Amino acid sequence: MSSRCMSTTVRPDDFDAYWNRVVNSLDATPIAPEVELMPIRSTDYSTTYGVRFTSIGPYRLFGYLSIPRGKGPFPTLLYFTRLQSVVEPLPQGDASEKRRRFLVFAMAARGQRNADKPYAASFPGLFVDGIEDHEGYVMRGIVADCCRAVDYVLTRPEADRGRIVGIGQNEMPLFSAALRGGLTHLVASPSFFHRTMDRAAGTESYPLEEINEYLRQYPDRRHAVARTVSYFDPLFFAPRITAPTLLWGSRETLGAVADAMQAAPQVRASEHSRYKDGVYQERWIARHLGLRDVILPAHWR
Amino acid sequence: MARIAVEDFETSMARPEDFDAFWEDVLETVDRIPLNPAVVRSPLRSTPDVDVFDVHFDSIDGVRIAGWYCLPASRAGTLPSILRVPGYIGEPQLPKQEAKGGYAVFSVAPRGKLRSNGQFNPGYPGLLTHNIVDRNTYSYRGFYIDAVRAFDFLAGREEVDSERIGVTGSSQGGGLTFVVAALRDPRAGAAGAPYLCGFMDAIQLTHTYPYQEIRDYLRLYPEREPVVRETLAYFDGIHFGPRISCPMIVNLGLQDNICPPETGYAAFREIASSDKRMYAYDGHAHDAGSVAHGSVIEAFFEKHLKNHA
Repeated sequence: MSSRCMSTTVRPDDFDAYWNRVVNSLDATPIAPEVELMPIRSTDYSTTYGVRFTSIGPYRLFGYLSIPRGKGPFPTLLYFTRLQSVVEPLPQGDASEKRRRFLVFAMAARGQRNADKPYAASFPGLFVDGIEDHEGYVMRGIVADCCRAVDYVLTRPEADRGRIVGIGQNEMPLFSAALRGGLTHLVASPSFFHRTMDRAAGTESYPLEEINEYLRQYPDRRHAVARTVSYFDPLFFAPRITAPTLLWGSRETLGAVADAMQAAPQVRASEHSRYKDGVYQERWIARHLGLRDVILPAHWR
Repeated sequence: MARIAVEDFETSMARPEDFDAFWEDVLETVDRIPLNPAVVRSPLRSTPDVDVFDVHFDSIDGVRIAGWYCLPASRAGTLPSILRVPGYIGEPQLPKQEAKGGYAVFSVAPRGKLRSNGQFNPGYPGLLTHNIVDRNTYSYRGFYIDAVRAFDFLAGREEVDSERIGVTGSSQGGGLTFVVAALRDPRAGAAGAPYLCGFMDAIQLTHTYPYQEIRDYLRLYPEREPVVRETLAYFDGIHFGPRISCPMIVNLGLQDNICPPETGYAAFREIASSDKRMYAYDGHAHDAGSVAHGSVIEAFFEKHLKNHA
């Protein structure tokens, strides 16, 4: 048995109540979508739209929606927010031709470009914005934004309800699946919120370094910061997750999360090659969606 | 397009006869503009080992440019220095690690990046095709110059040895490394997975963002293809190569699906410096073998910036 990384994170007593309030706020907030055709981002095989929709706050978000031409419903890829300002219609490096097969929704959470009014996030900066107050922490709203993106996708008749993959290079697919139904498959790279305080203490890499900076400036807030991030540890969301999942990371660091999920995920360590990791992920998705082939960029074929 | 051996790929982009004159003219304009740097220490970002400064300076078209400047907290005399130039969609990193290693490091946010987008903000996607029909107002005219001005900022610092400045970056940062090495005179350059090289070849070789922006544009405006090609010829990293005389290393991934390795090789071939080396990583895409290559860059700068007599 491999060794496990020890965690000092404690599940808050009001964990469920905290997130139920978020879900209830979402339920009380109309999505109110506005959909605008974007001819320049459309192709011969897909039509792209800019979508504005509302999350809790209320806060107006943005997403790129690409729908294949032809008769749906289509297998669907929902790309969750990343810790960066820019959101593209299709993640950098994905073959454009994927939009021939998949309905693609790439969301911008509050603070990201196209969703940066009135709140423009800074990078670094976002990760600790409001972190001293678990009710006011910006990530609480961003998790809600991700859930709202799921809600929006589910309004689209072109989306195949049996094949909706939530993809993110962080914990957002796990959070969204735990709090909102609808995602049938998940691809996640838990990077920031599992054992946050323990891991921040041992790194100088951003965004965890933001916590170190913050605590150097406000050492008296350590307890409050630890309490806030404890609401975001994927370990505590895991028991609610039933969807087949590809979990990027090592068994050593993610073993506890994987074991706590209802359906055992595929835990896969990166080979530090976007080519090898990318091909593996595309094949995993294709296999789980029952597709006979994968659409890869030219240099991966 | 039929696939040929990547190292033999020939670009379809012709170097304009007035390429050098175009850029000399731009530089002449730029050199008349005072930098007016503002350098403010950031207590939040600083550590016991590294002093971090929030920097702003003036660039062409009156645009104010931001950057992060990191210095070793314990320092004496003049320091070797590194200019870090950013990728396309990411924000500039705080280069604390390199500062801990004894370098003065400046990480610049050219126009359109966060903190430098108050006066110019074409968006993403958008930057790559902004005013792409006019070389005199194309987005990358200012963007390239912002990187050049970042070099000037470093060269003007009293704690920096202006004879020992290196420049490095990957993806867009790789392309910008070519540009700065060509338009200024760094001691050494390390470019990874160079973007902005062979634009019109790249949109045939790969169908991924960000080059997809040009495909998007030309799908809507096919009649503008000749003028787009004409503009981009002035900004093609390949065409900056003949102006580069400093030692250069270039790394790329042979399965790079974002910046085709074919264009990286084409750019490498044009580098005039005789002291140049290509590191091609098979089994790697846009990461360009960065995990293994980090130590190569470290040793390269150690040799050229620290051990240089």
